[in-house]
This record gives sequence, structure tokens and C-alpha cells, in this order.
Amino acid sequence: MSNVIRFQFTKGPEVRFLSHLDMVRTLERAVRRARLPIAYSEGFTPRPIMSYSYALPVGVLSEAEYGDFGFALALDPEAFMTAYNEQLPEGFRVLRAEELAEDAPALQSTINAARWRVVLPDQDVAQEIKARWEELQGLDSFVVRRETKKGSREIDVRPFLFQVEGIVHDSTGTCFECLCGLGNEANLRMDELGALLGFSHLEALITRIGQFRRVGNSYFPPLGSRDSL
Amino acid sequence: MDKRLIPLLPLVSKPARYTNHELHAKHKNWTDVAVKVALAFPDIYDVGMGHLGFKILYALINGRKDALAERVYAPWVDMQTQMEEASIPLTALESGQELGAFDLVGFTLQHELSYTNILKMLDLAQIPRRSSQRSQKMPLIMAGGPSAFNVEPLADFLDFVVLGEGEEVIHEILDLVIDSQAQNLEKDELLQKLAGLDGIYVPSYYQPIYSADGRFQRIEPLRQGIPPKIEKRVVQDFNRLPYPEEFVVPYVEVIHDRVIAEVMRGCTRGCRFCQAGMVYRPLRERDPEVLKEQIARLVENTGYEEISLSSLSSGDYSQIGPLVRDLMAEYQGCGVSVSLPSLRLDSFGIGLAQEIQKGRKTGLTFAPEAGTQRLRNVINKNVTDEDLKEVVQGAFAAGWSRIKLYFMIGLPTETEEDLEGIVDLAYKVLAWGKEARSAKRRPEVSVSVASFVPKPHTPFQWMGQDSMKTLRAKQRFLKERLNDRAIQFSYPRVEESFLEAVFARGDRRLAEVLERAVDLGCQFDSWTDCFRFERWEQAFRDTGIDPHLYAGRTRDVLEPLPWEHLSAGIDGRFLRREWELAKTGTPTLDCRWDDCTGCGVCPELQVANVLVKEKSSE
Repeated sequence: MSNVIRFQFTKGPEVRFLSHLDMVRTLERAVRRARLPIAYSEGFTPRPIMSYSYALPVGVLSEAEYGDFGFALALDPEAFMTAYNEQLPEGFRVLRAEELAEDAPALQSTINAARWRVVLPDQDVAQEIKARWEELQGLDSFVVRRETKKGSREIDVRPFLFQVEGIVHDSTGTCFECLCGLGNEANLRMDELGALLGFSHLEALITRIGQFRRVGNSYFPPLGSRDSL
Repeated sequence: MDKRLIPLLPLVSKPARYTNHELHAKHKNWTDVAVKVALAFPDIYDVGMGHLGFKILYALINGRKDALAERVYAPWVDMQTQMEEASIPLTALESGQELGAFDLVGFTLQHELSYTNILKMLDLAQIPRRSSQRSQKMPLIMAGGPSAFNVEPLADFLDFVVLGEGEEVIHEILDLVIDSQAQNLEKDELLQKLAGLDGIYVPSYYQPIYSADGRFQRIEPLRQGIPPKIEKRVVQDFNRLPYPEEFVVPYVEVIHDRVIAEVMRGCTRGCRFCQAGMVYRPLRERDPEVLKEQIARLVENTGYEEISLSSLSSGDYSQIGPLVRDLMAEYQGCGVSVSLPSLRLDSFGIGLAQEIQKGRKTGLTFAPEAGTQRLRNVINKNVTDEDLKEVVQGAFAAGWSRIKLYFMIGLPTETEEDLEGIVDLAYKVLAWGKEARSAKRRPEVSVSVASFVPKPHTPFQWMGQDSMKTLRAKQRFLKERLNDRAIQFSYPRVEESFLEAVFARGDRRLAEVLERAVDLGCQFDSWTDCFRFERWEQAFRDTGIDPHLYAGRTRDVLEPLPWEHLSAGIDGRFLRREWELAKTGTPTLDCRWDDCTGCGVCPELQVANVLVKEKSSE
């Protein structure tokens, strides 16, 4: 086997505002506290072999983050989960873990889509969101300006929003779920999702609830059942 | 944390500074304790979280059943704006309670340029700045740290000040506060009792007297039984001192984000410009076995990837070689490295540096401080050109390609020759590098030149600082001559050093300037982006106070100084003698290896240097 454990974990409200780098440091320190036999890279500055799926935006919660940890020896995934959870700070929790097959592809190459749950607290805009989604379905393109470190450019984000569903209004506010592109090719940012559906992402409580490989209209999670959604 | 801040978090930079919930943060129940202390650091989280003193106090206070300590940092400018717009006062990280709800708010005074932040934090907390304006119910505002040895510019804002080491006196303070609650004492009665503790200064019980021409004459106790001079605290046994078993492990990147082991306290090298080297005496080394235990516990509890051996000059620690080797043997296998805070080559060989920086040979620093041997004798920085040559050649031969040199300009007796000396030394180092290099990279020298700031309780405390004009001319002189692609020249703005000099040797009259400056928007003065000298100039103009009299005037050695009642145990006669020896360029040796220099600390405070070498041979 590969000695690599792939696991799914949460990023809860306590650690919601950590950046990706903050999270990387925190998870590394927890590995050391748990005395897990992490493997190191070769070279002048050996780094622990730990990799993650695409960075979660700061302020967004998650029930479906993924990590691949390489170990110096084969570990029982259940034992890993127990030991690691004991050392993780509040908000981070491993939900399940599996040993990867030797030839398994890298984590990021198995992901190109995400499912998000959006809650707009104290807002009653379910009808507006529904109408907006109906309207978008009839549109081929929706162009926004994307600011990047290299400057800003116009980009058509309509193809990156695949599905919006479960739009309801309840006591907490307006809730719905979206399937969107994630990763290097068809990435949809949260401010762009807001622009598409007409809400402010800064006022929303957003949770990433799934990450998948999308093939046609099928969605395959990187862990557990490899069946389509 | 304060829940009211949550909606603001998406709007500010690095929001995790404000969210709390870090590993080992202590959330004690407010109803279970008698006394509540806010440890307030007058800078942002990213700077304050690295401060060892607060880690120690946090553990000590929270270790008591009857007390709790929480952390407070200055919010960054973007967060301040949001808080002010939403009318949310400054609160403590752990509980989100307003500062006004604490019994004690303790500020640490690390340097003069943080003073505006103290007033700004009080403003944000909606606590009146001046102690005379604070009601009975308001918390007592206390302070400690190195700048407490001339706390006079802050005297009007602080209820009491701790001089020296806090580990023992903090318990005495907490006990008195608890007693005063039980007896329902008035604030003044409590302060009176606090003033009776060794090392505690209650500024409002003293009155400075100035002469008609505006010079400081003396300071007088206003009440019976108040000591005319406050002597600093030194702990009984440095080795037996409790040390934190856990550090709060931050999420965001902060300075000194690692296991810190305090290998020793104090320094007796006797550099005449160095305040820390005077006020932290005597020198005490911690037993290596004690250190190893403390480090093991911290590594286990934090998961940090780095251990730092901290002190004023860790290379001087008697057992530094064996300690580093033992630690590397113990931790290398689990991805934990060992570091010394800035690899200062003054005091230890290239061999040790090589062991520590296995593989990644980044930068090495050397602090000759002055460009000529003559001036180094004046400041008592006892390194020679030969020392430097040997180490630098060794470093380049071993594969380092970048050497960093620290110098000061504006030192007493400095001439153009000494500035030339800085230039010469930089080029010499570069030449040695070209001769001895083994690395593929071209040798590089970075030269960092600070402007000298005369500090209280040092042999240079009488010395006037060079004018800003002179300092700028000296910077230009160096800049013109250090124009080589392989030499990187950097220097802080002279305005910052000037302001530091004003407040370092200031008196109570500066309180007004400080208030005016904060009103004009001054804060984060040590952040170059935030420093606005023109506002400071206006503050001095508005209050009619001439800053040059504080910074630039050379005092007569017999002139009374505003900080002489705040004693670090250093005998004034020693400082005067050292000032005279400086002027004749006569070095004074280090009392840890040579004769007693008569600084007065040991007899005055009934203490002694403690070296681990001596101990193991007993």
C-alpha cells in the first residue's frame, strides 16, 4: 500500500477565519502533538508530506475538506482518526479516513467541483433567488470582473454554476445549495456566486459541504463511496 | 471573543487575530475567581503573541484558583475603524469582556514608540486616559517591562508600575487586590498598600519639582511612608522559577512563533549603550537539565516545529554547545529545529552556527556596532577586527553567502574616521567573502545602521543625541560610499530615533504631548507606514514643548535626572565612572569572567551572577 491516508475533515465556526496557510500550520502542529509518524520530503529542507484540496475562502465553513498525509509506515486509518482528533483544536474534526491505493491520483486532480450551502441570516429572499436561478438557466453567459494579483480581467462565470437547489426560507433565514466549479479551470468564487444569484457573500454564512470530480452530470467524491452523487 | 465583532471579521485583514479559540487559551469562569487581569500588549496580536513575559504571567495568573488572565492587543487600523463605526469598545480575546470589567489592566512597556498605542487602547476601551479621571469602579492600570525604568512620560496615565521581574511580585499584587475586595477598600487605600510592596511605584504619590528655567530638579514623595527610591525586583532563584508548560498556539503567523526557552536572564558584557544589559542584571543562567525538561513539555504540548534559545546573548550561555547538540539529537528526527534568536557571531563560533543551520545556510549576523576599534572601546563592545575576520572567513568558507552587519551612528566621540570605518569594514567583509567563498552564490553583505538613542540607566544617559540633520548627513555619507551591488544598506528613519530619544529620557511634562499626538491620530509609531512625524511636530508645537531639549541636550553628570528614583540597582557612581572611561576609550571587562566592575547590583539587591559551569563543578 501507499502509506498515504486520505481523510475528510471539518472546518468549524471556531476556525472559520483561518487562512489556508494558518490551517496548514495548525494541522502540522497537531500531527506532531499526536506523535504520528509523518513522512518527510527529501532535500535540503525536508517538509512533512501533507497536502490538501483547494483552499477554502477565509470565513467559509466546511464539512468536507480533504487531506492526504504520507506516513513513514502503514497506519490503521481508524487509529489515525482517533489519535489525530484528540490533538486537533476545536473546529477541526476528522470525519473519515482511508488508506490510499498505491496508484491513486493526487487529491487536487480528483476534484473539480464543490457543493456549497448558503444561509442568508434574517433575510427572506427565497423567491428572489429562485427567480434569479430561473433567469440564469436561460443565460449562456454572465460576465464579471475578476481581480487577481496580476490585475483584473473580465470572465464569464455562468458556466461555473452548475445547479442551485433546495431554496427555502425558514426561521434562520434563506437557505439554498449550489454546485459550482472548483479548482484551476472552472473556479467560481464566493463573491461571483453572490453576483450571479444576487446576494452579498460577506453577509452570508457559507459552508462547503462536498467536493467532487464532475464527469458529465455525475459527481464522484474523493473518498468513501466512489459512486456518483 | 466579543460576539459583536463577528460581522466585522469579513471586512478586515487577518481576521483570525480577533477570533480567539487558539489551543491552550484559557477560558475561566468569571464567577469562579476573585481577581481578573487583562494583559494588554500595546501593539497588534502578531507582535504581542511573541512576547515571553506575557506568556509567563498568563500561566502564573491562570495557575491560581482565585484569578484569571486574558489577552488584549491593539486592533489593527482597519479593525479600529470598523469598531468605532459600530461603537464596539475594546474587549479581551478570551471572554469578550470590556477592559473596564477587569480589576487590573497591565500594559507591557517594551519601547518608547509604543506609548501612543497605550493611550489609543484606553480610548478604544472607553477608559479615561489619566488616572486622576478614573472612578473608583474603573480597573487599576498597571505597567511593567524595560521602559518602566523611566516611566515618567506615562506617569499620569498609570495607577502603578512594577520595576523588575514580575514572577514573584504578581502574586503579592493579586493577594493585595483580593484582600482589598474582602475589606471593601477604596482604590486609594489599595494603592497605598501596593506602594508598600518592594518594586512598586505609584506615580500619583510623587511630585516632580522643576526649576524656573524648566529643568528637572527632584521628585518628592507626597505622603509619609512612601519610599523616595523604588528598587527593582529580582527573583530569588531563577532556576526554580515556574515556567509555562503550555503556550497559547496562535493560528495566524506571529513573531517568535515557536517554543521559547529562556536560557538566561541578564547580561554583563557591559556595552555602554545598552539599557537591557544594565537593567536586567545580574546574570543568571538556567540549568541545562531544567531547560531540557521545560522544552520537552512545551514541544509536547504545542507541536511547534522550532525551539528558540532566548536571552539577551544566548551565545554567551556557558553550556550553549552541549545544550544545542543535545537538543538537536533529541528533536531532529521529529522535524523540530533549534534556533538562536538572530545568529549573533559576536559570542560563538562558526562551528555552532554550522550545526544549527544544517542544510539551509541563510544569513548570519555580526554586530560590531562601530566602525573602528577606538570607538568600539568607547562603547565597550569588545570584539576586534581579527574576531570579525576569523568568523566571517569561516562563515564564507563553510558556505554562507550573506553576512549582515549591525552598526550605530551618532555614538559618543564619533568622528568621520569612524564612519569611514563602517565603510571599510563592509568592503573588507565583502573581500574576505570573495577570497574564502565556497558557495555558488556571490557573497553579499547587508549593512544595517541605526541611530544611537541615549537611554536611562546606561553610562551614556547624559549624552545628547545627534541632531536629525547631523544623523541624516551621516546616513548620506554612508550611502554615497556603500554603493556596491553586493552591499545592501538600510537605516531606520532618523525621526523615529529622535522621538525614541525624547521619550526615553523624558519627564512627566511629556504626558500632554502624548495625549495631543494621539488626538492628532498618532499610533503604531514603530510601523514605518503609520509613523507621521509632522503630526508629532504639531503636537510639540501645540503643547509648547521643545523636544530638542530632551533629545539633543547633553546633561551634566551632576544634574538631577527624572528617573533616578526608579532604580535598577545600578550605582550612579558606576555609571559616571563608565562614562569617563568611555571618553578615554578604556574598556571594562565582563564580571562573569573577570573582576567585579562595581556596578552595585549584587550588593544593592543581595543577588549574584549564577553560571551553570560553576554549579556543575561544585
